[in-house]
Amino acid sequence: MADKYFIEPDVEFIEKLQGLGGDTLKKCFQCATCSVVCPISPDTKPFPRKEMIAASWGLKDRLVGNADIWLCHNCGDCSTMCPRGAKPGDVLGAVRSYAIEEYATPKSLGKMVNDPKMLPVLLLIPAVLFLILGGIIDAAFGVNWLNFSPAGEEISHSKFFNTWLVDLIFVPTSFWVVAIFGLGLSRFMKDIHENALIDGKTDKEKIEAKGFLTALWRILPTILKHKKFSECGENENRATSHMMVFYSFIGLFIVTNCFFFSLYVLQKHGPYPQLCAVKWLANISGIALVIGACLMIKERLSKTDEVSAYKDWYLLIIVLGVGLTGMLTEMTRLGGVAGLSYAMYFVHLVFVFNLFVFLPFSKLAHLVYRTVAMAYAEYVGRK
Amino acid sequence: MDKKYGVYICTGCGIGDSLDIKALCDVPEEEGLPVKTHSFLCGKEGVELIKKDIGDGTNALVLAACSRRVNFDTFRFDGCVTDRVSLREGVVWSHPRSDFPALTEEEKEEGEKFDRVQMMAEDYLRMGMTRVEKISLPEPYKMEAFSRKILVIGGGITGISAATDAAKAGYDVTIVEKEGHIGGYAAKVRKQLPLEHPYEELLPPAIHAKIDELEKYSNITVKTNTVVARIAGEPGDFTVTLKKPDEKIEFDVPFPLPEEMKLDEDGKELDVEKQHELYLEYNKGRADILSLDPNGEKFGAVILAAGWRPYKPEENEFDHLGFGSLPDVVTNCQFEEMAAKGKVTTSDGKEAKSVVFIQSPGKGDDDSDFSYAGSVTSLVSLKQAKYVREDYSDGKAFIFYQHMRTPGLSENFYKSIQQDAGIFLTKGNVVSVSKNGDGMVVEADDTLLGKKIKVKADMVVLATGMVPATVDDPVVNLAYRQGPAFRDIGLFDGYCDSNFICFPYETQRTGIYAAGGIRRSMTMEESIEDATGAALKAIQCVECSNRGVAVHPRSGDMTFPDFFFQRCTQCKRCTEECPFGALDDDEKGTPKPNPSRCRRCGTCMGACPERIIGFADYNIDSIGSMVKSVGVPSEDDYDEPPFRILGLVCENDALPALDVAGLNRLSYSADVRLIPVRCLGSVNVIWIKDALSQGMDGVFLLGCKYGDDYQCHFVKGSEIADIRMKKIGDALASLALEEERVTQFQIGIDEYDKIPEIINGFVEEVEGLGPNPFKGF
Repeated sequence: MADKYFIEPDVEFIEKLQGLGGDTLKKCFQCATCSVVCPISPDTKPFPRKEMIAASWGLKDRLVGNADIWLCHNCGDCSTMCPRGAKPGDVLGAVRSYAIEEYATPKSLGKMVNDPKMLPVLLLIPAVLFLILGGIIDAAFGVNWLNFSPAGEEISHSKFFNTWLVDLIFVPTSFWVVAIFGLGLSRFMKDIHENALIDGKTDKEKIEAKGFLTALWRILPTILKHKKFSECGENENRATSHMMVFYSFIGLFIVTNCFFFSLYVLQKHGPYPQLCAVKWLANISGIALVIGACLMIKERLSKTDEVSAYKDWYLLIIVLGVGLTGMLTEMTRLGGVAGLSYAMYFVHLVFVFNLFVFLPFSKLAHLVYRTVAMAYAEYVGRK
Repeated sequence: MDKKYGVYICTGCGIGDSLDIKALCDVPEEEGLPVKTHSFLCGKEGVELIKKDIGDGTNALVLAACSRRVNFDTFRFDGCVTDRVSLREGVVWSHPRSDFPALTEEEKEEGEKFDRVQMMAEDYLRMGMTRVEKISLPEPYKMEAFSRKILVIGGGITGISAATDAAKAGYDVTIVEKEGHIGGYAAKVRKQLPLEHPYEELLPPAIHAKIDELEKYSNITVKTNTVVARIAGEPGDFTVTLKKPDEKIEFDVPFPLPEEMKLDEDGKELDVEKQHELYLEYNKGRADILSLDPNGEKFGAVILAAGWRPYKPEENEFDHLGFGSLPDVVTNCQFEEMAAKGKVTTSDGKEAKSVVFIQSPGKGDDDSDFSYAGSVTSLVSLKQAKYVREDYSDGKAFIFYQHMRTPGLSENFYKSIQQDAGIFLTKGNVVSVSKNGDGMVVEADDTLLGKKIKVKADMVVLATGMVPATVDDPVVNLAYRQGPAFRDIGLFDGYCDSNFICFPYETQRTGIYAAGGIRRSMTMEESIEDATGAALKAIQCVECSNRGVAVHPRSGDMTFPDFFFQRCTQCKRCTEECPFGALDDDEKGTPKPNPSRCRRCGTCMGACPERIIGFADYNIDSIGSMVKSVGVPSEDDYDEPPFRILGLVCENDALPALDVAGLNRLSYSADVRLIPVRCLGSVNVIWIKDALSQGMDGVFLLGCKYGDDYQCHFVKGSEIADIRMKKIGDALASLALEEERVTQFQIGIDEYDKIPEIINGFVEEVEGLGPNPFKGF
């Protein structure tokens, strides 16, 4: 439609949002209490009042490609104070999960991630993939990278599931993840900028790479310190659990890279001794991940007035699964329970696969979109 | 009645602490009246004291205690004339000793100084004694003929509901309906708004069940194809002539001469005889208002439920909305008509899947809704939006509003409509509706979605209002001298109501009670409820008229205006000034009172230059004598005598405000003497002349607000008083008195805090003028 003022409500979009946890969106009567009480909303053109009417009018274009939905940290202050029970916090959550699905390709995979009925399939994909790949390699090259009867006293997981096989799967998929994000982000950035121009949030014609990257650098402390989170009134304690999970992932990322370096450059094979500093980091991160995920689950269960949709539970279970199976694998290895340890390792890999490969499609994608949106807001000087 | 007097002074509530009770007792004793004091007069013992004396024959009581607005049941003694002297609120509380110190013993002996508060109390006591002497016990006005039947004009949902309610209470009811069948608009809708909890779902029209219920009552008569030709007489004894619509009959009501016909060619007003001649010619073939239709039907009260008609936009009125030029721009009533027939389609037969409802015509900065709109038009838009969704599963309904009015539990309905995924609401100023290919485009500014938006529409619906039937036609056709229609309803855009906040259902004509769309634009649910209110009012009226007492607002008042006709000069002022058209004059101009039409405000008494109108307990003499009993000290009494200022205060709002001022210990000058009056309209200028000629220095009237948003309980009283006060200036000038000595103030019942400022300000102004030169004569 050429005329930018034309409005065409999309009823299907409304119904989709309602299914994604925004079932209250039509209750809004535009009093703007939400925008007033939001502790982190900018003063000019504040959210979520305008997002609420756009949602109840089914204006997909105004919501999905709108940076503001990502500035929201789902504190829940707006939902608590809403006089009509319209729960703007939950509605924005639903919009974000719609947006994640929208920007990630292939869309069919996004649909699967958001569909509870497809959970067994998602879990089976890595399991089957591992087995088939292992089988093919064995048959074609005679290399026994997937050995169901590992020998020897010492329990070493690479004897069962060779590190080469792990990396053969995870290194290419990590590139795939980056590629999907790349594709999604290019569209995302274009959309949020277009929307900002229409709304008059910026007067910059184009996004300049240099300015944007410096903005990104400037907001890093905010993210690392969880500054926005701690401004929340209602869900302030969420900052703690989120920070635990956040830093444990950073820790585990460092650990993975260190061991990757040690294996391929130093040719030193694991398992590494417990006294090694990297191992310390690994253990602390693992424990923090489990505790953080448990806290998050507890918070969600105790918050009966806030909607927890399937997308929330999926991610939490995967995160907890990764942490728990990781720790159990290590513990059974140290305890010398070989069979259980090998089995646990396999499950661990299935969870890790779900976490990483489906990252652009799951709620976890917020780590990219929110960062970019915050950087963009910083870049255009949104206050 | 032989009066045996008794004066009772209460010394409780601080009265005894503040006043010299012994000196106060001297006032009645000097007149030879027995006086008793009690420290708790409203207590059991105090009341027993009075009752014992009543048993011994005392029947004229002066109760000097608290305001008459409190303890009225305690101090009500049937068969006695009573005056309540307000020592507590009027003297002691409003003049605390901290501001008005009492005299010391030495000062009392010296005799040069005076105690203003004590003087005030003594004056009030003397005024009370005078009043009791001058008034008599009222006897109710009994009518010769009497009917309890209730006439309901209009057979729509309001009329049917009112008739059923009155019939349930045991009254005979006749409904007249101008159409060929009853049901009205309620029978023409597809669905109606919810009537009961949870107020969420649309209902099939409820009118059919209502008609079924109506038919069960044998005491209801329905007359279709019938209108009212005239209603003559008074509540309790109305003589009603009915006729077919458009029929011309002898008892069609005569209309007053239009203003332009009262003038001659030069624009000068014709003399009375000539005017009467023209009037007779103008109404040729119609019987005079005073000749009763021998075949007329008798009724006790009338419920006016004549309803409304859809607003007809003027040509080009809504050009910017395409009304008139685009065939698919319709009013809400037209849309309802289409919806009642089935699925709504556009003028060329296409499905109307995108419908825009416009609540406000949008004219620049003016955000007002269509004229004669209200919460009903908001609710109807919500209802009709639902029709769109019922007709088409992929239909979309848009509502652009400036005001979304969903009062009370209709908010639940709003919420339920809001939940529909295909209904979209926004505040906004609709700028234009224009053609766009096959459909239309609606453009709106300042919406909740942004500065400007455009929406595609197959159909556009304007939320136009409900015009009351009284805009086009008098409907009631009263055979009253003031004319067949309600007066001055232009103030309410033609809605027939006297003041719909304070006195719902009451019209400016006693015995005629309005309900439903004729009163304001309202939903069927509201109309049903309204009908009950009007039915109860009509019953109240019938029963009050039967007992010869006032209906409202002075419910139960047994007095009525009494005319001493021998001295009437046929000046017609009473007939013309009566706010309720209670008086009809004959050919000569002699007024014919219709006591049960009267609301006992006394405006006629105030108007009469011959002073021949009065009530048993409120008349020219009773108030005039009270004025004369006020002590006016002159230089013969003191070197610097205090000023004396008379205040005539309306008992409806001004007196309560004064009492509340007293309750809050807000003090005002002790040199004023206040006399409550029924309405400022009842103030006769003779009282003011009396006051000034006996040396009082100034007179003020304190009453309700007048003008467009008047608060007068009798509609016009304070306005008429204002006109009279302006005219009194000439009379004062002839006495060489300054005009400023007489004035009128307006006050609301809640403005008690302004009392000191108003009274003290006037006192200062009068003091600035100096004492009345007539003082001491």
